[in-house]
Amino acid sequence: MTPTDPGDQPRRFRPLRTSGQIKAEVDEEIRFHLEARISELVRQGLSPTQAREEAMRLFGDVEHTRAEMSAADQRRERRVRRREYLGEVLQDLTHCVRQLRRRPAFAIVTVLTLAVGIGANTAVYSVADHVILRPLPNTDPGRIVALWEADTRTGQARREVSPGNFVDWRERAQSFQSMALIEPYGFDLSTPDGPPQALRSWGVTEAFFETIGAPPVIGRGFTQADHAPNAPFSVVLSYRLWQQRFGADPRMAGRTIQLDGQPATVVGVAPPWLRYPDHRDLWNPKRWHYDGERTDRSSSYMYAVGRLRPGVTLDQARAELDAVGELLATEYPATNTSVRINPVPFDEQLLGDVRPALFVLLVAVGFVLLIACSNVASLLLARAAERERELAVRAALGANRGRLTRQLAAESLLLAGLGGLAGMGLAYLGVKSMVALSPPNLPRVDTITVDGPVLVFALVVTLLTALLFGLAPALRASRPDLLTPLRAAGRSIFGGADRNALRRTLVMGEVALALVLLIGAGLLVRSFVTLLANDLGFVSENRATFQAFLWDLNPTAELRLQRMQAITDGFLATPGVEGVGITTSVPFHPSAIDPMDNLVVEGRPPLPSGEEHRIYTLIASPEYFPVMGIPLTAGRPFVPADRLDAPRVALISQTMARRFFPDEDPLGKRVRFGVMGPPQSWEIVGVVGDVRPRTLDSDPRAEVFVPLAQTANGSVTFVVRTRQSAADLMPSLRAALWAAAPGQSIYYEATVEDLIASTLVERRFHLVVLGAFSIVALALATIGVYGLISYSMAQRTSELSVRMALGARAAEIILMVVRDGLRLAVPGLVIGAAAALVLTRFMRTMLYQIAPTDPLVYGQLVLLVLAVSAAAAYAPARRAASVDPARALREE
Amino acid sequence: MADSLQLLRGTLDVLILKTLAGTKLHGYAIASRIADRTRGVLAIDDGALYQSLHRMEERAWVESDWGHADTGKRARFYRLTEAGRRQLRVETANWLRYAEAVFRVLQPAAA
Repeated sequence: MTPTDPGDQPRRFRPLRTSGQIKAEVDEEIRFHLEARISELVRQGLSPTQAREEAMRLFGDVEHTRAEMSAADQRRERRVRRREYLGEVLQDLTHCVRQLRRRPAFAIVTVLTLAVGIGANTAVYSVADHVILRPLPNTDPGRIVALWEADTRTGQARREVSPGNFVDWRERAQSFQSMALIEPYGFDLSTPDGPPQALRSWGVTEAFFETIGAPPVIGRGFTQADHAPNAPFSVVLSYRLWQQRFGADPRMAGRTIQLDGQPATVVGVAPPWLRYPDHRDLWNPKRWHYDGERTDRSSSYMYAVGRLRPGVTLDQARAELDAVGELLATEYPATNTSVRINPVPFDEQLLGDVRPALFVLLVAVGFVLLIACSNVASLLLARAAERERELAVRAALGANRGRLTRQLAAESLLLAGLGGLAGMGLAYLGVKSMVALSPPNLPRVDTITVDGPVLVFALVVTLLTALLFGLAPALRASRPDLLTPLRAAGRSIFGGADRNALRRTLVMGEVALALVLLIGAGLLVRSFVTLLANDLGFVSENRATFQAFLWDLNPTAELRLQRMQAITDGFLATPGVEGVGITTSVPFHPSAIDPMDNLVVEGRPPLPSGEEHRIYTLIASPEYFPVMGIPLTAGRPFVPADRLDAPRVALISQTMARRFFPDEDPLGKRVRFGVMGPPQSWEIVGVVGDVRPRTLDSDPRAEVFVPLAQTANGSVTFVVRTRQSAADLMPSLRAALWAAAPGQSIYYEATVEDLIASTLVERRFHLVVLGAFSIVALALATIGVYGLISYSMAQRTSELSVRMALGARAAEIILMVVRDGLRLAVPGLVIGAAAALVLTRFMRTMLYQIAPTDPLVYGQLVLLVLAVSAAAAYAPARRAASVDPARALREE
Repeated sequence: MADSLQLLRGTLDVLILKTLAGTKLHGYAIASRIADRTRGVLAIDDGALYQSLHRMEERAWVESDWGHADTGKRARFYRLTEAGRRQLRVETANWLRYAEAVFRVLQPAAA
């Protein structure tokens, strides 16, 4: 029973079996066994029938055995197949790595290109996702509405609300489940050691937290009892104050803190994202400060929100509010003739300003990804063309087509994987720097991270990119017509024109996209430069400001003026101080106090209701104007003699003089207006220079100044002029203030330069992000042009050699190649400029005093891209022109 | 064969491995050799033998190839792999220790 030789075949060459084959072999094996057994038994003397029965008995359960045998075989087969597949993939990968290491420049450029595209996209989408794409965290945010007064005369659509109007709205509008008034307020928090800390608060009316849909994370909001007139003082802390000041004490609810020297019970802590109208330290139940406040319709400085009843649409609410507004206008003509009610959906209120800009950034970053992808596609197409001969040889030697495709796909996936990995790193850095740069009106910006969904997004982008640029060349290279490249190898002169058509299109597209981004960024740069060149009307360098409220500690006018003098003397005694002025309203200051009132010029007929002159009423000390560098253009300045008991005098801004005294000299005119109080009569004694009041693009206003000494207003900002950097002097100035006014809290301190810078944060953010994108885009497009030209130079070596052998000079060759490069760029530029004309319209709100079609910007950037493209073509051109024609021809 | 002994678990594997030591055999030859050596004392279903062979092939203790038997018919031949030889050594040692231990208990102590 010695077996015949079954052949010593190494097992890895045995072909893999299908499950049908496995079953057939098992059957054959069993049949062989039974036949052998039967013939043995017959030889021992059994009849064939008996032998068969005995053989079956000896075998046992045939069906079960057959099933077990097949199952075991199939498990083994699968394992072998898996192992072989993994082995091949590993082979493919090592082959890839080897190939890429032979072409490090190609690998590095591809990976970096992908990393930039993926990284920038992930970063921008992370920000956009957090800021505008996710639903608001508020309970049922679709029913929240911000309520504003709309002034039909000035066209101001979102004016702050007066308490009198709010009370009527709340009473009359049935569309709303609840409405709350929000009043800017403040307290001094007593600290165990050192001066009190000034806290900014929102005083809110009943059901504020329910209305805005922000249940406190610890404790509760305010109840009806908290709002009762003589209720114990209770507050809700902001999340940030709770963390920073109270160490995130989990048992904060119920704790007592000292506010303005009074005990106050903390009833809750608000969620971290609640920052409407902006972020403040705490909330308190709004007190009604004076008898007539509930009916006061002239002091509009509060905010209001409402929550629609379930099922009520915004349009229904708007219709009802329109009717209420009309009614109030007829009932209170003196104040309400031009006042209507403007309900703004809450998401529009929060995101309306940032949405367009973020969409612009999303589109821009999408362009960057497109450029990156087409660059990589172009690189890979070139590489596939280079390798066509290698692949054809391998296919001819018997490598199967699937395997070749897989190898090329593996290379793309490897590159995409590396690019994706590097892109994630870039995304992380990108998000960090975008958050650092971000303007304060970006909601939820502090919670932004590169997070799960965005990670998945980046992964999908990576894989799609890999498939897009990986498989196209793979399919092309592994097409059945394997002989063409082999045949073509012998005579490549003038060849390859059609093969480059796709790459040419891609590179043109890159140039077009890059130009669009450059024009977008160029418009922003020009806006920024124009803005910075705007005359402020005052000097911003070396000025520090300290805002403080002196009322509580200095209850009488005399005491307040004495205290201000003491603080001024303290500042002046500080080394490095050159002057100190006092005002209620520093330009660019976020909490400047500049109420408006009607102006009455004595001796002129009264103006009809609704058409009065509106002016901003400010207060300043004599020193304020020279300290701020605001010039006196006519009349006399304030002098120390303009005291409480002296005749009341006023200075007016140039704009006010022009607007209300166009044909006459305002000096000596008597005017009536109130400065945070009833109207009084003032004599205009001088005119001062205009200033930009809020931002660099805000227009000068009609402003009137009255002497500090004649009002003794205690809500003041000290402006300190320093010899050197004001920022360096802040600590000693602060100490001087506290020495002169013990126990006085400082409400807001900043240098004037910082005040201005903070109004530019948003523009700077757009500028830096879009600028970075456009530079990246230009770099990528340059690589695209350079890569394509160098590649086609390599293909055309023999053609160029022939030309040179026939007497063409190097300069002519260079010129020819550079012209090729420009031929590539020009169609791209035409398309790009046309696209920019259409797309930049969406940037209008981001621009300042420049048309989205500004010809200068377009022209300059078209020239820039042309120059860069020419330069990108010049390098390979010179290389081509320096080739020794004889040697190049021999090599072909 | 009514008085044949039932096989202990795992015993069949080691018997097959031992039978294959140093040779190549098809399933019927393996069954015949085991029956010869045990003189029919052990009751072994032929089916169980084939199941064991294929299980051991899955574990890579044996490998198989198709060849031709003496009769000229196509048959599947099995032989040990390196892992199978190792397994045989381990199992044999285990069996001897097991049998020795059982034997010591059952054998009356030598006086």
